[in-house]
This record gives sequence, structure tokens and C-alpha cells, in this order.
Amino acid sequence: MKLEKSKKVHYDSGPNMTPMVDIVMVILIFFMLGASFVGVEHFLRTNLPAIGKGGEGPRDTGVVPDEPLEIIVDSPISGDRWLAKAGAISVADRTSLANQLRQLRTAMNSSGITDDRIQVVINPGKNVKYKYLVEVYQAALQAEFSKIAFSTAH
Amino acid sequence: MRRHQMPDMKEGNVNVTPLIDIVMCLIIFFMLVARIGVDTGADASIRIPSSVMGIDIKDLGNTVTLNISETAAHKDEPEVSLLHPKTGQKVTVGITDTAPSGELVRPLEDLLTAWRKNLGPECKVIIRADQDLNYRLLEPVLITCAKAKVKDVNFATRRGEAVVAQQ
Repeated sequence: MKLEKSKKVHYDSGPNMTPMVDIVMVILIFFMLGASFVGVEHFLRTNLPAIGKGGEGPRDTGVVPDEPLEIIVDSPISGDRWLAKAGAISVADRTSLANQLRQLRTAMNSSGITDDRIQVVINPGKNVKYKYLVEVYQAALQAEFSKIAFSTAH
Repeated sequence: MRRHQMPDMKEGNVNVTPLIDIVMCLIIFFMLVARIGVDTGADASIRIPSSVMGIDIKDLGNTVTLNISETAAHKDEPEVSLLHPKTGQKVTVGITDTAPSGELVRPLEDLLTAWRKNLGPECKVIIRADQDLNYRLLEPVLITCAKAKVKDVNFATRRGEAVVAQQ
């Protein structure tokens, strides 16, 4: 019986690529799953608390002090809600607080106080939860204040 | 002049050379993007608050992550765990402590001051605290950062919708 295959000449005598492709594909999938293009976390940059009342240490001569805008944040003992007060403003949700703070900023700007001179100071109560402070902080950011800091608890 | 060209297909097999070229490029890309096995010192068990106004920090090189948690031992002070980004030294300290001599010491402030000097002026601090942590426990950490003269302080938040307070 004549066997056709046994007589066939193999010209393609290079290395067998199949195992390599298998391994390379596994490595590729591993790195694809391990890679994180966009992190799950992002950050709120803050200034540090103003320690003491009226500022500490000598002021530089010739430097105009910032105009403070204090936001007092309170929370009941149960800690399930918050209330922010800044002058005549008294609100308990971020969107309203942001809108009213924006109006306040516009009013301050029209009275000659520029944005870089307004220092927002968030003054929380001792029992205010961190997540509510983040809300107030975001409201100040939404109102386009650039200098935001926390003060010591009241 | 002899020109290089693709080898002729003798038996009708699929030419895998371009496939391997592309796959190798993808592997190198994902190796560079992936941060596998890099410990930032972040405690995954802490439920950080969510925010919509956060920013990304591109360079997390000289960053010290402070994981703030409540402890049963010191109800008025938090416990802070942190990791040195270069040496990998992991420590858990309180705000204040009593030395064997009876003197009051501030371990977190001393540690942050030393690490800031070691890491240079670009040193950043990321604060990771539980979303339900009271400000009375967060405040001493912020004051300590100010005393240690850390200039760049950031709050870690989750991407997502903000918290809706119960009315």
C-alpha cells in the first residue's frame, strides 16, 4: 500500500509556536485584568486646619489678610444628617449649599474681594461624620472657592 | 541588493508572526500600566466616603497614606497606620503616647516630621478615614499634619454619587 503522507517533504521546519502563543495569551489576559487605567479612588485636596483663633505667629508686613468665610457644620447626636450655616445661609444638602455659596462669592467679588483672598473655613462640630464634611467641602468646590480649609472643632 | 521578505507558506499554515508582534506590544503596554504588587499602604477595609469633585493624583511617588481608625483603647484619639513609600516600613501609631520616662510624646508627629525630611518637599499625605468617623477623631490627625509641616494633604474618596443625608 502506498502512503502519500510519509513521502511528503516538510519545508516548514521552524519552532512550534503554539505553546508560546498559549503562554503569551495567558500573560496578556493576566496583565489586562491587573491593569487599572482609571483608579477607583480620587482625592480632595485640602488646606490644613487653622490652629487657634485669630491666627498664630507674626504676620508678614504688607500682606493683606484673607477674608474668612466660615461654614459651621453641625450634626445631631444620631449623626444621620447635617446642617451647614454660613452667615444667613442655613441648608442641609450639597446642591443648595453650593448654589447659595456661589451667590455669596459673587456678592463678595462685587464688593471688591477677589477669589484668591477668600479663605473658606469649614468649622465642624465634634460629632459630624467625615462623609458629611466631604459633602460640605464639595459644595465649596462647586461654588468655585479655591482656598478651603478645616478649622478645629467647635 | 537582497531584500528581506516574508517566508513563503509551504503548507498553508497561519502565519503567527504578526500576531505575536501585536501580542508582545500589548503585554509590554499592560506591564507598564499595571501596578501589580505595589503596596501603597492603603487599608482596603476602610469604607471611604464617595465624592464627585475629586481629582486624580498623577504622581503617587512620595505619598504617605494615613489609615485612620477608631480604637477601643483610646476613645478620644484615633489609631493611624502608615507605610513609608520607599523603605516599606509599616507602623501603627497613636497621636500621643507616654514614654517609659513618663514624658508625653507625639509619635505620629515625630514620624511624619522625620519622613517629610526623608522624602523631600514633594511629600504628600493621603488621609483614608471611615466615612462614619467623627470629626473629633479626624481633627487631631489634621493638626498633627500641620505641626509636621506637611503641605500637601488629600482626602481619599471613592468615585461615585455623593451621600444623601436623611431628612
